[in-house]
Amino acid sequence: MTQNRRRRSMMLAAIGAAGILALTGCAAGDTDGSPESTTLTVWHYYNTDGQVEALQKLADSFTADHPGVDVQFEYVPVDQFTTKAVTAAGAKTGPDVLVYGASGTYSLAEAGAIEPMDEWWDAYADKDQFPDGVMQKVDGKLYGVQGYVNLLGLWYNQDMLDEIGGEVPTTIDEMEAVMQKAVDAGHQGVTLTGKPGFESQWQGFPWFTSHGFSYGDPQAKPMADTFQMLQDWVAKGYLSREASTWDQTVPFQQFASGASAFAVNGNWQIGAAKEASFAYGVAPMPISSDGGVLLGGEVQNIGAFSKNKELAQDFLKATFFSVSGQLTLLDYFGSIPARADAASDAQIGDDPILSVFTDIVQQQGRPSPSPEVPSKNVNEVEGLVGDFWSKAVASDGAPAQLADDLMTQLVPLLKG
Amino acid sequence: MISLRTMTGPSRPSGDRRLALALPAAAILVALALWPLVQLGSMSLHEVTAATLNRDWLFIGLENYTRLFASPDFPRAVGNTLVFVAVVTLLGMVGGFAVAVAVSSPTRGASYLLGMMVFVWALPPVVNGSIWKFLLGDHGLLNEAIRALGGSPAGIGFLYDPQLALWSVALVNSWAVIPFNALIFRAALLAIDSEVLEAAEMDGAGPWQRIRYVLIPHVRATATVLGILTVVYAFRSFDFIYVMTAGGPGTASTTLPYLAYVEAFLRLDYGQGAATALIALAVVIVLALFYARDVRRSEETS
Repeated sequence: MTQNRRRRSMMLAAIGAAGILALTGCAAGDTDGSPESTTLTVWHYYNTDGQVEALQKLADSFTADHPGVDVQFEYVPVDQFTTKAVTAAGAKTGPDVLVYGASGTYSLAEAGAIEPMDEWWDAYADKDQFPDGVMQKVDGKLYGVQGYVNLLGLWYNQDMLDEIGGEVPTTIDEMEAVMQKAVDAGHQGVTLTGKPGFESQWQGFPWFTSHGFSYGDPQAKPMADTFQMLQDWVAKGYLSREASTWDQTVPFQQFASGASAFAVNGNWQIGAAKEASFAYGVAPMPISSDGGVLLGGEVQNIGAFSKNKELAQDFLKATFFSVSGQLTLLDYFGSIPARADAASDAQIGDDPILSVFTDIVQQQGRPSPSPEVPSKNVNEVEGLVGDFWSKAVASDGAPAQLADDLMTQLVPLLKG
Repeated sequence: MISLRTMTGPSRPSGDRRLALALPAAAILVALALWPLVQLGSMSLHEVTAATLNRDWLFIGLENYTRLFASPDFPRAVGNTLVFVAVVTLLGMVGGFAVAVAVSSPTRGASYLLGMMVFVWALPPVVNGSIWKFLLGDHGLLNEAIRALGGSPAGIGFLYDPQLALWSVALVNSWAVIPFNALIFRAALLAIDSEVLEAAEMDGAGPWQRIRYVLIPHVRATATVLGILTVVYAFRSFDFIYVMTAGGPGTASTTLPYLAYVEAFLRLDYGQGAATALIALAVVIVLALFYARDVRRSEETS
């Protein structure tokens, strides 16, 4: 019966993978017909113009040094990425390189879509340039490294602050005082994400940890205080209730149009911010010392079924893990280099926005996913917390009740 | 000499041969419809996540179902699904019939309306949903119009008020289904003998009476089949919710199909997602059986 199950599972996976390969018309490690040309496939979910251009730039620089290599990028929508990689692994195939979200590490590792990279990483001369926070480990084994980090900061409209006589806040109380002035002057206080799901967990993390919540010791009170804060912001007009449907793009568009004093958003908005017709800046999140900001960003590793593993390693070392590669990514979409030497580059130190984000990494950065969350429940926990953040923004329940309901579902998941 | 073939008419394949001819279609049906259903059922009885998909699945009996029934999201999703189906079916049927009556006369306005409906019907739901999301936004056309007419300065939270979000998406989905229903109803109305309508008119029947006593009885069989199809369409509706509210705020507009998507493809719990999908599917299958029975009856009658 077990063997039947395995056979059926493999057959399903094979059918799925065959379909995938038929649709994409390429396979890992395929050659394009000429004997000296090797195709290197890279799966990713980048979809903004800057991200796509950055990938092409990385490929161009790599193929300049490896003329016989054709780097093929394949876009996989973020909500299909893990499932597609897992299905492909079931058919013993997949890309040479995966660029994926950190929350997928456990599933990809357990499904055999990626392998431990300790061996070649230990032999990598530049490994000491990377901080521990960007190492994605499962059961002590290294399953991926983030070449860069993405994180949240407090974007502010300097012109608006000057107009209303506000200062850049360092605490939540100070921020609320400025938002009140903004609302009195006919502006909005802040824009942020409230769409159900993972993005909202990321958005909420700094605020609920600032109120004392921890995944290691989950209590309803700090979560209720956070939800109360959100609902007060909505009631006082600081935050639009419509934020409960916003992803991370819409609220920044609102900020960049000059509608609000603040935006809680990421470093990847640097390009979009340049479209603003007012003076702006970024400050660390105005949270307590208990609070933290999750260090996101995509993880890179070699596909377990790559037929060009050494070439794939060379690709990562020459692109995502190199100083020039990380500075290219920084140029195109503002990602903060993970390498210490790249992060200390004058390009960052001299930039008033990027230098603040690197400070936030040092002062408020927390690993993502949170280590206290059992690996196998990461997706469920992040989705659940994000849903409740959305409910709180939409005032879909009283703060205390929402917090109690959340704890009822969250605590069993955190126990593993 | 008269051949046997002439005497008995064209030769017909024997029963065995007819079965053999149906085999390719049956094989495709089994491979693409039945087998995935069997797998879905199997998944719902096992612990299957992204991490375990490629391993032996652990049999856990009905645990996925008991977890689902215990989840606070489930009753809300069931309630939302019922409301959604009721709104889409009612408005889709009534609206479809009303529009069909309006476009059944050969006037220029009717032709224009018919053309517009085909356009709306042909629009991909993602495009349709995105347009409506923009129109229903805080600063969208509808809210600006409400403010301009002296309504609430804060506007109406069509898509973010937990009490309104589901209704808003259901109304948009109804709007999208009306053209299809209208086209089907129109075909049924065009089949009515014009003499019957003329006779009704000569007997003094006004427009409403002609609708009540002539048109409605004539389209009753069509309406039954179309009603079932509309319920099935509404029941499995996913795209408008995905585009317009992502099931939110929170889970305020999450229906069973959307809940299955969240569980399987966002939380990567395929077992739980399969259990949710099967429950939704069971309702659709029951309705499909009614549909099949009705089609068979109408064929027998004709």
